[in-house]
Amino acid sequence: MAQSNRKSNILWHFFKSVKLTIVLLIILAVLSILGTIIPQKGQGAHEFARTLTPELFHLFKSLNLFDMYHSLWFRLIIGCLALNLIICSLDRLPGTLKLIRTPSRPDRNRPFEDLPEEQLLVVQENRKEAPDRVAGLLRKRYRAVQEKQAGENHFFYVTKGGYSRFGFYFVHLSILIILAGALVGSFSGFEAYMEIVEGEKRDTAVLRDGMGSIKLGFDVQLDKFSLDVYDNGMPREYRSDLTFIIDGRFVKKQSVIVNDPAVFMGISFYQSSYGSVPSKDVRIRIRRPDSPQGFITREVARGGVYPMADDDGEFQVLDIRTDLMRMGPAVLIAVRKNEKEIMRFWVFQNWEVAKERLPGPMAQSLMFNPSAFKPYTFILDKLETRKYTVLQVNRDPGVPIVWIGCFLMVAGFFVTFFMFHRRIWIRVTLKERATEIAVAGTSNKNQVALQNELKHLTQELKNLMATMERRHA
Amino acid sequence: MHSSSMIFSYITFVYFGAFVFYLFMMVMGRSGPGRVATFILWMGFVAHTFAILLRWFESYQMGIGHAPLSDLYESLVFFSWAIVLLYVLVEWRTKNRSFGTFVTPLAFLAMAYASFSPGIESQIRPLLPALKSNWLISHVVTCFFGYAAFGIAFGVSLMYLIKRLDKGGRERSLLTLIPATGILDDLNHQMMVIGFIMLTLGIITGSVWAQSAWGRYWGWDPKETASLITWLVYASALHSRLIVGWRGKKTAILCIIGFFCVLMTYFGVNFLTGLHSYAK
Repeated sequence: MAQSNRKSNILWHFFKSVKLTIVLLIILAVLSILGTIIPQKGQGAHEFARTLTPELFHLFKSLNLFDMYHSLWFRLIIGCLALNLIICSLDRLPGTLKLIRTPSRPDRNRPFEDLPEEQLLVVQENRKEAPDRVAGLLRKRYRAVQEKQAGENHFFYVTKGGYSRFGFYFVHLSILIILAGALVGSFSGFEAYMEIVEGEKRDTAVLRDGMGSIKLGFDVQLDKFSLDVYDNGMPREYRSDLTFIIDGRFVKKQSVIVNDPAVFMGISFYQSSYGSVPSKDVRIRIRRPDSPQGFITREVARGGVYPMADDDGEFQVLDIRTDLMRMGPAVLIAVRKNEKEIMRFWVFQNWEVAKERLPGPMAQSLMFNPSAFKPYTFILDKLETRKYTVLQVNRDPGVPIVWIGCFLMVAGFFVTFFMFHRRIWIRVTLKERATEIAVAGTSNKNQVALQNELKHLTQELKNLMATMERRHA
Repeated sequence: MHSSSMIFSYITFVYFGAFVFYLFMMVMGRSGPGRVATFILWMGFVAHTFAILLRWFESYQMGIGHAPLSDLYESLVFFSWAIVLLYVLVEWRTKNRSFGTFVTPLAFLAMAYASFSPGIESQIRPLLPALKSNWLISHVVTCFFGYAAFGIAFGVSLMYLIKRLDKGGRERSLLTLIPATGILDDLNHQMMVIGFIMLTLGIITGSVWAQSAWGRYWGWDPKETASLITWLVYASALHSRLIVGWRGKKTAILCIIGFFCVLMTYFGVNFLTGLHSYAK
């Protein structure tokens, strides 16, 4: 009763269909193409969004097309696929079990119809012991041999590789396990990053999805960041030497390089990026040709206002860069020229090099001329940089589950594609003046291998009959 | 120029020669040129194998030793090598040379693209930090054997569609050497299965690698997404065959679509941004 109820359920019928699987796979493929064409999140998405009309933008936005892989509807489609896999597998499972468990009746004649000649062998003599000997041989080769006698016919039935019919259940199960692992990761894990300046320590990481930050429960200190390059200038290695500190106690020192993360208390730290920031002390010299000392020196900080020499006005440090346009450290200076006008210009630490490398018009421009404010010449005397590292900080308890799923999938493929379920019938017929042995078989796939096996088996039976003959003689 | 790169550029012509003789065999309907073609292909393959090992050795001599699987040039060379290896096995198993006419052009084109495209650097360069991983070899080898198997399936599918034009009767020597459609269909299926398993292994090894390098096993980066699309297409093709029972023409067409996806995964995605920028 329950069985028929379930079978007549429309939903069950809808979700058990393999055609639905194929349609879902194709929908996912098409959506993935869409997701590759439409930039997802980040810089690219912002640029793309600007090219859209406002209406189109709102449509895209409301459909979550800029972050479609995390949208509800995309997850619903994956959910449908999972449901499809589960129901399709459950629907087929009883049939498969029946195929493997219930033994075929050994005394079937249909397999022996249209038997090719090479699977038939005849000895011109009645050999009463033949059935026993055949049974002995089969028991050596196959696990369970079923026998049945019907009149002059002795039937034997053997089977091998029945488990291979379970292969595709394992593959389906593996996909569900992988999806479950992903789900675990998205609910109980996090993806974050942290920037640490050399010599400093941090105890919080910023979440990637922009939903605030997370307290790690311990401090991570960057002892040193090093960048190693090859002779041709290509980067060889980025390395962050970290110390993990709990309650002020140094617990563990570990280096992190690309492809070799550190794991501390279940949280993984990956080398992601790096950069440099100006350290606190920046020193500027201002030279004035007619001044008796020649120059004055000022320790400056970003945003600070400092006096020029002898009540000659002030200057402000608007910006401090460790590497401006790849030409090294520079500071942006603002000076009040008169009541109305404020001059702004960059002062490179290495002006000679910058002058060489700047394109002509820019080198001439006052914007980059340290002597723009006459009669002074600004010199960036000292700007020390400190390196910082960017670490990807993750916790994902779903990862081992995903790996189990992957392993199961590959194993399932091997069982599904390379193993097969063959069923073999042997009929020994004792006639008055002859013994006839017929070998027949079926397989769910790989017919070539089945034919080979039948050929082999027939040959062995032939050898068996030959040895019996010799003994008789 | 490295001597391995020199050998690779000569091999381009060797494979082209093999293709020409396979074509002669088809047009003339005689097996003589086919035997020559096989011989030429074997010569090319041996030299190809030697040159890959030589390039490996050369990189160690330069002090930046790594397996020659690190950029677009080396991947094309390996792709071509994998195609020829799989093809030689198929020819040996099926005792039929007509596949060569459809498969050797892929090997030849990959080599020609690697050797003669101005945009592709043939210099041996040191490994970027991101590529320094034990997963490099297993990831690249599995992916490209998958691509190669799909490439052969593509050739076999084309043959299938062409063979269907042969309605018998008329003397068409070009088609008579092509094996029967049943054999083609079987071979097509076998190649798809090999390709599918290899692609799966390639995606899994890539995921494990991504997990150890970036801390996420899947990030919907264009290359990952494209490989997933390819995987989905072949998964549909296998389901349609094993469960729904589609054979022959439908499978062949799905296979051709699948190979188009492979090419998109391999080349197309490089025009977009992403983490597989090795191929720049």
